[in-house]
Amino acid sequence: MTTISLSLAPPALVRLHDVLICLSKFSDTVAIEAEHDLLRLSALNSTKTAFASFACKREVFFEAYSFEVRRSIAGNGGDRFYCQILIKALLSIFRGRVDRNKDTAVERCDMELHEDPQQTECRLTVKMICGLGVIKSYKLTYEPASIQHAVFDRSRATNQWTADPRFLKQVIEHFSLSAEQLDMYSDSGKAVFTSFTTKIMDGKEVLKYPVHTSVATDKRDFEEFLVEDNMHIAINLKDFKAAVAHAETANATITARYTRPCKPLQLAYEFEGVAAEFTIMTRGELDGETAPTSSRAAIRELSQRQTPAAPISGRRHETSREATQNTQMPPPPPRTRSIKPLNGTSTQEHLSRSTASERPSASALSMEYDSLFVPADDDRQWDEMNEEEEEEPQDILGWDASGRPDAFEATLRDEEPDFSRAGTKTNQEPKDEMGIPPTQRISQVRGFGLFD
Amino acid sequence: MRFRTQLKNTRTFSKLTASLSSLGKVCWMRLEYDVVRFTVIPEQGTQVWAQIPVVRVKLVLDLIPQVNLTDSSPKDTIFEESSYQLESNSDAINIEINISLLNRALRSTFGASSSQLRLTKKDKMPLLALTVLTTEWTEGNMALATDESGEQSHAAGPSAPNEVVGDRRARERETWITQEVPIKILHEDVVESLHEPHCPDPDVYIILPNLMQLKSISDRFTKLASTDSKGRQSGIVVADPAASTTGATALTTNAAPKLELSANMHGKLRLAIATDDLRIASVWSGLVNPPLDPAHITQDQASQLPSERMREAGDDDEAGWAKVRIDGKDWGRVLSVGRLSPKVVACFINDTALVLYVYLPGSWNGEESCLTYYINSFTT
Repeated sequence: MTTISLSLAPPALVRLHDVLICLSKFSDTVAIEAEHDLLRLSALNSTKTAFASFACKREVFFEAYSFEVRRSIAGNGGDRFYCQILIKALLSIFRGRVDRNKDTAVERCDMELHEDPQQTECRLTVKMICGLGVIKSYKLTYEPASIQHAVFDRSRATNQWTADPRFLKQVIEHFSLSAEQLDMYSDSGKAVFTSFTTKIMDGKEVLKYPVHTSVATDKRDFEEFLVEDNMHIAINLKDFKAAVAHAETANATITARYTRPCKPLQLAYEFEGVAAEFTIMTRGELDGETAPTSSRAAIRELSQRQTPAAPISGRRHETSREATQNTQMPPPPPRTRSIKPLNGTSTQEHLSRSTASERPSASALSMEYDSLFVPADDDRQWDEMNEEEEEEPQDILGWDASGRPDAFEATLRDEEPDFSRAGTKTNQEPKDEMGIPPTQRISQVRGFGLFD
Repeated sequence: MRFRTQLKNTRTFSKLTASLSSLGKVCWMRLEYDVVRFTVIPEQGTQVWAQIPVVRVKLVLDLIPQVNLTDSSPKDTIFEESSYQLESNSDAINIEINISLLNRALRSTFGASSSQLRLTKKDKMPLLALTVLTTEWTEGNMALATDESGEQSHAAGPSAPNEVVGDRRARERETWITQEVPIKILHEDVVESLHEPHCPDPDVYIILPNLMQLKSISDRFTKLASTDSKGRQSGIVVADPAASTTGATALTTNAAPKLELSANMHGKLRLAIATDDLRIASVWSGLVNPPLDPAHITQDQASQLPSERMREAGDDDEAGWAKVRIDGKDWGRVLSVGRLSPKVVACFINDTALVLYVYLPGSWNGEESCLTYYINSFTT
């Protein structure tokens, strides 16, 4: 049996509302995770490229907080409780600004949840204690869920900047509303933010192409700016906007940490006992030599890729692999890999499924972000493989689905060997089957004259 | 092919593009040596032909030496000759641009210290690039921490996120913004067939009253007529086929309510709407029928004009009124040009068309910064 009961003061209610608004930009449902000393609200977007998490500390955020688990439920991983709730339902209760002048203003909010396998009906009860003895009670249904976190190792981040969200908002305001992606890089004292869109346009409809906006700001406008020069890193603009907008309401400075393109980036800040973290998958070119970040350039490259005219250089011995490299990654390419969303149950199961099952139009055109949860999978896997070589541990983003209370901190190192093993498997499995790496469809390969 | 210019008064330019984009997204821009023309010809509805001169500040100075520089350049000048560069094999460069994208991009210029517009290419894609430099006074590094101690710590690392490398002193903050708007280069052949419509001499010309007032009344009338049609729609009981067809026609005409706009040569303008259920009219009086420019027309010719015959009709004679029927929604979009607070001369060609000459402030009498709207009259 699990019991959670907590009380919130009016300011915390407003905070909770803001958090829910922010999470609603990522997903329809919020995952709620209770531990002894914190309550975590998180959301993962549908493409699994962005994970937003707000950890509310017991002592600071809550007026009162108690969490008890009687370990009778097998397999629930111990001292945690997980569930998920529709954000819309919660937002209809937590409505934002509290009007203190009203007689019936909310004075306190009590929430309770009892889960008992003996009971047929388990609900989250929310009681708003208002002035003049008015009490508003709500009963919400919730779903059980297996909650996971995007793992991000801060200590391995090599790039980091900190900025005021109001400053970042000024930058964002220049971007057109239809812009989808945000590219960031630094160049001789300047931090450059560029918005672009990778949507494929009909060549004739030139005028419907999005405006390409770049904003070059002085590094001194950041509180801290330690970033490798000329390394382009791109994220979804929508995710960035959501984080900046919330940080502004929370009046907290944002810190971004990342290593290199195609590795996760984390935006983090803290306010009033809440630690906010947005872990976002990035895209970009691993080499980061030149700076062709133009969406139009990308479009052209993509359309080139469609024409099956890839010259196959015989530099390396594995021709099938080489073919893949040529067709899917032309010289200065944006990354193209099919999406392999892992639902988090078992890494291996999903990897094998993603290689075996048909992938709906995994063509180069459907190029999207990589899922946050593809382990240790990067362009290097297409290089000549040295099977003996131990892959260096990277700041890979993994799932912590163990449910163990200590998992988040302690298992970081433990998990990595798992991922590298899984990564090797990706390379091996297709070799056994067909000799084609998993991101290639047979139909695609035929087009290149290798197999017909 | 080269084009490059500094932009002045970008707010005016932004308002201009906003007004143009309300009629249609695709705009034909014709860059000439002494004028920039904007033309929007939507598939249906009003078309607008605008010209913004490249102002020769120096020339005006030469002619009128006693006028100082600030006075000589109209205050809403957008293009100034000193920075305006154009090179073309023909007389002009013709481009097609999504004017609403340009309008959005121009927002970045508000409060900027310099804005430049130029024609460029990126990956063989022609672009109109807007480069903006904004300088802003900042009170040290972003307000949150202003203690002096932070200034000393220049060796911050990931291990010490609280330390700061940024310069915290109050200073000018410079930001460069580049907006690249995609365009299509139009060949001279393509635009050759496009001509400004020819209209007969107007029956009545009159200076319109305050556009904001006119727009709010027009919008109100349009709304009344549309809600009226909706009310009828629910009320109609289809008894026999004949009744249902008349009902249907009434609905189709009411779905896009038509305003009746009329004026006479005695300073009166009337805005009216008529449906089966209601009839409302607003009348303005005491407006100005501007005199024609004697430089363009002789006394003899002037007396032959239809407007003179209309003037002869008495103030209260219905025969002296010229009337057009225009689409209420379209008219609302046309009136969005009011944001430029221009002077508008409306030329009525009875039952045929309404032509609006919209003069931007500062160019009044300069007859150069002008937008011309051609609005067709609907038949009853």
